[in-house]
Amino acid sequence: MSPPRLTGALRSFSSVSKTDQPPEELYDLKAKRLKRQELFAKEGLTWQKIVRFCTELQDKGEQQATNQELKSLLMAAKNIVGSEHGQEAIESAAAFLFEMFHNKDHVGTEESRAIKQMFGPFPSSAAEASCACVTRLVAPLDDSRVEDFIRTQKSLHNPQQGSVFGRNIAFCYDCYTLDPLDDLQSSGVFDESEQLMNFLNNQQSG
Amino acid sequence: MAGARVPLDEQQVTEPDSQGRARTLPALHPDRKEDRCFVPYKTPPVECSPAGVEEFLEHARFITEDLEWLLSLPHDKFWCQVVFDESLQGCLDSYLRHAPRGLDLLALPSSPAVADVQRAIHRAIFLVFLRMATHKESKESFLTPAVFGEIIYNNFLFDVPKMMDLCVLFGKGNSQLLHKMIENVFTQQPAYYSDLDETVPTVLQVFDTILEKCGLQCEGSMEPKKLNAHKQPTALTMSQQDLVDIILYLCDSTTTIHAFLDIFPAACTSFHSHGFLSRLTVFYETAVSDLEKAVKKRNYDDKTLQEELWKRLSHSCRKMVETAHLLLHHACLQPLLEGRENMQAFAEELLQYFTSFLPEKRFLTDYDELFPISDDISLLQQALPIIDETRTSYLLQGVESARDSLGRWKSPIHKPAS
Repeated sequence: MSPPRLTGALRSFSSVSKTDQPPEELYDLKAKRLKRQELFAKEGLTWQKIVRFCTELQDKGEQQATNQELKSLLMAAKNIVGSEHGQEAIESAAAFLFEMFHNKDHVGTEESRAIKQMFGPFPSSAAEASCACVTRLVAPLDDSRVEDFIRTQKSLHNPQQGSVFGRNIAFCYDCYTLDPLDDLQSSGVFDESEQLMNFLNNQQSG
Repeated sequence: MAGARVPLDEQQVTEPDSQGRARTLPALHPDRKEDRCFVPYKTPPVECSPAGVEEFLEHARFITEDLEWLLSLPHDKFWCQVVFDESLQGCLDSYLRHAPRGLDLLALPSSPAVADVQRAIHRAIFLVFLRMATHKESKESFLTPAVFGEIIYNNFLFDVPKMMDLCVLFGKGNSQLLHKMIENVFTQQPAYYSDLDETVPTVLQVFDTILEKCGLQCEGSMEPKKLNAHKQPTALTMSQQDLVDIILYLCDSTTTIHAFLDIFPAACTSFHSHGFLSRLTVFYETAVSDLEKAVKKRNYDDKTLQEELWKRLSHSCRKMVETAHLLLHHACLQPLLEGRENMQAFAEELLQYFTSFLPEKRFLTDYDELFPISDDISLLQQALPIIDETRTSYLLQGVESARDSLGRWKSPIHKPAS
């Protein structure tokens, strides 16, 4: 809980602030994760496109092995999002995992964090399995082709992003710190006896 | 018209609707808002339990990610989001309310990862408010100033408590930018001056509440107490937690007021019009000694708490004295230094203020130690050689006598020039 603040009193007792504040617990982590999954699904990189991309230049024999890897990736995605979710959510998760692991060879801290942020707690074995599947899927493909594919798919659906506002603004992280007039030991606060002594001294000198 | 520069509030855009059919709508329209679901800010965990830290980090990363996304939006989309997305306003507001201040008892983040993400949020929040306070980003991206004023006011994008929070959270080191932001907000929407005027009595009420909680009579409430009324606890007798709360409240209040007036001195006029200065000096005189005694004399299980409380009380004293000086500077000293018309009236007002400080011995002494009154009087004498010497001598003797009565260190009186 925050300590008592002046601005808290002003919000409560003066009529200059919005009165109907939305409840702060409106969006919890679970709701936020679902929203992020939804937003990712709209970003443009879909499972169908990944399947097409991975299989388009392959002969029949290679396709069979690739299809097996794609199935394994879907299974790993299912283990991460949870079996209560539908096919759409599982495919979207698989696309997310493909994008994340396409240029990685192991599950690092950043990747674990990103998966948790998107789907919540997950079995690490499923993350390892998905990373291994993606590595095998992209192994026969040219690196730059994979990068181009992902970049193109994302930028197609995200044309409105501009340069970040305030990128060049020099921001200072300093905050106000305590600046006492005097410290406790050397403070000029007298107790009654000291005040009495002071009074008597003044009387004598007067 | 090709190449015409049209303000955002007058622009129309043609976009596909949910069924893919083209439709034209105002550029500032709720349908153009993204459903992003901003989460509110929560304070960093006090204890370093891994689960607590992890939850905070996850929460905080959502916020930084969303705010960075917001800052990267083009001008029109940014304004659709800030005006129509309640979850965004909730997120910004929760940060202003709950973000740790440097003066809180437990202000320091507990782990480097927490500190890093806290810094990222801190910067992003500032930039979002900066962008919201800017009606013209470029030659192409701007709002009609009057419409901008209406938008920020009617949608509570800014209000007086928020601006005070901004000052206390970001003022140290970003004061120039903050000054420009707040000045622009007040210039484009003068209704904020009325709001400020409405807020000052509540600020004064905060000081009265502190006096009341300490069992001290506050000015204006001179009603006789019933004989059988319960005896009000004093600073010495109240619970330790109550004393801690009062001192933290005082520390936050005095720091916030000072930061706000320092960054936006035009607000001094509103504070003056409510007699803030005289109320502040009376409060200082009435409350400070009692609170100091309480902090010194109580028994503490944890001695560091006593030290921390003392620092905050002493810091509050400094801030009250500095605020008084800011108000005097704005009302009287600055016009004298600038050689404005009617200098005699400003000099008279300054002398009246100093004279009114004479009964408040503790305040007067502390003020004089930080801002020697003799210096201001010397400045007065230079600006207005006709100033009444008897009056200035009386004033300086009053300062000396106040200091003597408190047993403080004696400085030589600056004799008025003969």
